[in-house]
Amino acid sequence: MLRRHWLLAAVSFTAAVFSFDALWIPVKAELAQHLLERAWLRTLAGEPNAKPWPWADTRAVAVLEVPHLGLREVVLEGSSGRNLAFGPTLVNTRRLEESSDRVLSGHRDTHFNFLKELKTGDLLRLRTATEIRDYRVSWQEAVDSRHQQLVIDNNMDRLTLLTCYPFEAPTAGGPLRWVVTALPES
Amino acid sequence: MSKLSSTRTRSNQSHTRSIRDELEKRAWIQNPKLALRLRNRQADEKRHNISCFESTRRIRSWQDRTLLTIIAVLLLLFVVRTETAIADEQTWGLEMKSDSGVFTELAVNTDIQLDITGLVARVEITQKFTNHGSHWAEGIYRFPLPADAAVDRLRIKVGERLLEGEIQEKEIAKQTYQKARKAGQTATIVEQQRRNQFETRLANIGPGELIEITIGYLQNISYSDFSYHLRLPMTFTPRWEPGHISPPVPGVVTAPVPRLVPAASATGHQLALQARIISTAEFAAIESRYHDVDIRQLENGYTIELLNPDELNDRDFELSWTPALQTQPSTSLTTFNDGESVYAQLMLAPPLADSITPQAREVIFIIDTSGSMEGASLAQAKAALGHALRSLGSDDHFNLLQFNSNTEQLFDQSVPVTQHSIYLAQNFITGLNANGGTEMATALTTALSLPDIPQLMRQVVFITDGAVGNETELLQMVAQDLNNSRMFTVAIGHAPNSWFMRKAAEIGRGSYVHIAKPEEVAEQMNGLWGRIQLPALTDICVEWGDSAEYYPEIIPDLYAGEPLWLLARLPSEPTLIGLCGTLNGMDWTLDINGWDAASSAPGDDNLAKLWARQKIEALEDSLMFGADPELTRLEITGVALDYGLLTRHTSLVAVDKTPRRDTADALARTDIPGLLPPGSSTQLAAYPKTATGWLAQLFLSAFVLLLSSAMLLFSGSRLPMTKHSTT
Repeated sequence: MLRRHWLLAAVSFTAAVFSFDALWIPVKAELAQHLLERAWLRTLAGEPNAKPWPWADTRAVAVLEVPHLGLREVVLEGSSGRNLAFGPTLVNTRRLEESSDRVLSGHRDTHFNFLKELKTGDLLRLRTATEIRDYRVSWQEAVDSRHQQLVIDNNMDRLTLLTCYPFEAPTAGGPLRWVVTALPES
Repeated sequence: MSKLSSTRTRSNQSHTRSIRDELEKRAWIQNPKLALRLRNRQADEKRHNISCFESTRRIRSWQDRTLLTIIAVLLLLFVVRTETAIADEQTWGLEMKSDSGVFTELAVNTDIQLDITGLVARVEITQKFTNHGSHWAEGIYRFPLPADAAVDRLRIKVGERLLEGEIQEKEIAKQTYQKARKAGQTATIVEQQRRNQFETRLANIGPGELIEITIGYLQNISYSDFSYHLRLPMTFTPRWEPGHISPPVPGVVTAPVPRLVPAASATGHQLALQARIISTAEFAAIESRYHDVDIRQLENGYTIELLNPDELNDRDFELSWTPALQTQPSTSLTTFNDGESVYAQLMLAPPLADSITPQAREVIFIIDTSGSMEGASLAQAKAALGHALRSLGSDDHFNLLQFNSNTEQLFDQSVPVTQHSIYLAQNFITGLNANGGTEMATALTTALSLPDIPQLMRQVVFITDGAVGNETELLQMVAQDLNNSRMFTVAIGHAPNSWFMRKAAEIGRGSYVHIAKPEEVAEQMNGLWGRIQLPALTDICVEWGDSAEYYPEIIPDLYAGEPLWLLARLPSEPTLIGLCGTLNGMDWTLDINGWDAASSAPGDDNLAKLWARQKIEALEDSLMFGADPELTRLEITGVALDYGLLTRHTSLVAVDKTPRRDTADALARTDIPGLLPPGSSTQLAAYPKTATGWLAQLFLSAFVLLLSSAMLLFSGSRLPMTKHSTT
């Protein structure tokens, strides 16, 4: 008798851990942004390597704003899984200031969930340490990452936002990506 | 409750019984009469026990099943969680793709043999697959061929044996290949994936082995400004092309985009090339634009070879040759009789530039100012437009239209070129802003319905990135409303919709240029302007005779310095071919006698193949005008099988009859990358994994939590009662 109870208790406990683990993802994504805002202020103040927390191996490089959605997110350098948990990340391996073809990626179910609401012609604003640039969404499409490589061409002046697709897929790790391309507003 | 108590009862019973059994056993040994009674009793008890046990199991099973289910869900959650964590850390890359867990290293080197006779090149590309690994391998290699190539041959060389390939319907070819691949036979298949993208698959290359595949095709040589040109594409330019499948339709597979790596991180990809020009004429110059070559004169022509033995196939090869005597090719007719039909190729010689008097024209510029032109594109378009305005002659008329969601025209009707009108136009251009949608149809209608100016040829110059969704409708409009106007398209930016723009120019009997970078504006616009200003022979018509099938169906204008090729299939040898047109504003006619025709050697069926290639292209284009896709597919397949051509619906396949790989040995598959063009400023990156799946995890774990706690409470409340019942 007792064995089943223990089992049930263990199951409940594990399920609870998993629930918290799942919930922690959006909470962390939200909380991290607050810490990142502070790091961003330090970046703006001229600190070259403003780490959001002492043990971080990334820095806040830009702020992405979508005025009509009232959205503001701090962008991190380096598109690793760890960084993606805290905010949208810069895919380019060159520094943002030296890249004119900028590619940002974010999780489809946290920071970049808003991509599904973007329409052609929508305004995107990217603030870097040195400038503020306005882009307009030019086209959007889904691509298959198994068949396509991501082309970064610094002859071009554009902003690309990437996330996983479809937005409502139950599991992570699918091959499709949603690509939003925005061109600078003159 | 019942379950718990019954279990207890059973255990009590069995305990009692074992003592009783012992006693009765002893009694039975002492008194055999008791044996029967005992046996009956035992059978009874057994029956009772079984039913007792079964009901217990049934009762136990639904609870256990629920418990098992939630444990399973929990495990699933755990797996999903781990998978996501792994996916996060993995960087994308298909360095080696293996379907059996064995990795191997394959390299491809390329040998090209070019044979140029007259205005046709026979090209043979040999791909040498070397397996440096220690396992059997299958290689997949994507490579470009010219979009107008008539691919008709495949040969495979295994050791000393040569095997000829054959054309089969795409799906059948695939099956043939798969079957041979599984059976361990060496086999190869060549498929067309896009207009200029082809794919070779070669299965069962032994460890340390070299297998050669030779692909043969025919290509027309182009001629302009007294020189002949031939261009062979060698690799792909990585380009960000907006797709036409968004969101992707399930079940529709798009052609894979070729994978490219920098030369430093690749093995193989060495290029050897030998060209032969069969000609008795002397050449003033033979030039290779991107490669150093060694040129030798022979008795019957020239041979050209690459100088550098370690050349890599990372850039296109372009050869041009200029005859010493500046004689242009003269109008000529060549025929080939295959017994059933006659194939005729008519080359219409270009008139000399000084024999043409430029005619006054009406030029209507249409500029796209929709949102997608924002930024660099609009700047380039403005520069191109400014360039065009400066090139207008004093007898010309012009007008200017801009369109986004609305169309706006500068003048009510076209005006003569004056200082004032040019000034107004320049102001208009300066004030242009990109914004809004792409309502191309209205702009086209407006431009084409402007009042005619008598005696002037109307030329429409369309400057856009072609980002439209209704291509078919627009092309139909161009076909119907253009009348006698000509349509020139100027594509802007890195990723214009070039198919649409090229077709629009083809239907509009004009030409198409692409300006990718600001530096190219002057060069491309000068090129376009050269053609716009000197359309030598216009409104060309050709009378081939009854039941002739000829291509291209819309005959373009003939420009100075560039000949025109027309191909036809006729029921019998032509007797007289009548040509008409307009030259320098006057009617022009020319009759060509059938007996003047040069005949191809018997068996030289190049003309038939080139004709079939044109027919297939025309069929593919007809899809855009609403032709039934299934019927068109069947028709293309039919033509391709008849003439032995590789198309999107037919593939070349070659199979070695002898199985070589023991089917028990694994076969490793490698996707062999192409080379990035040198000096390309592009960087290729992986698509990051960008989903956490937290919502699904939350739902599942919350569900499990709810269920298990409910069960815990449910059985927990009964616990004291069961205890009570047993005590």
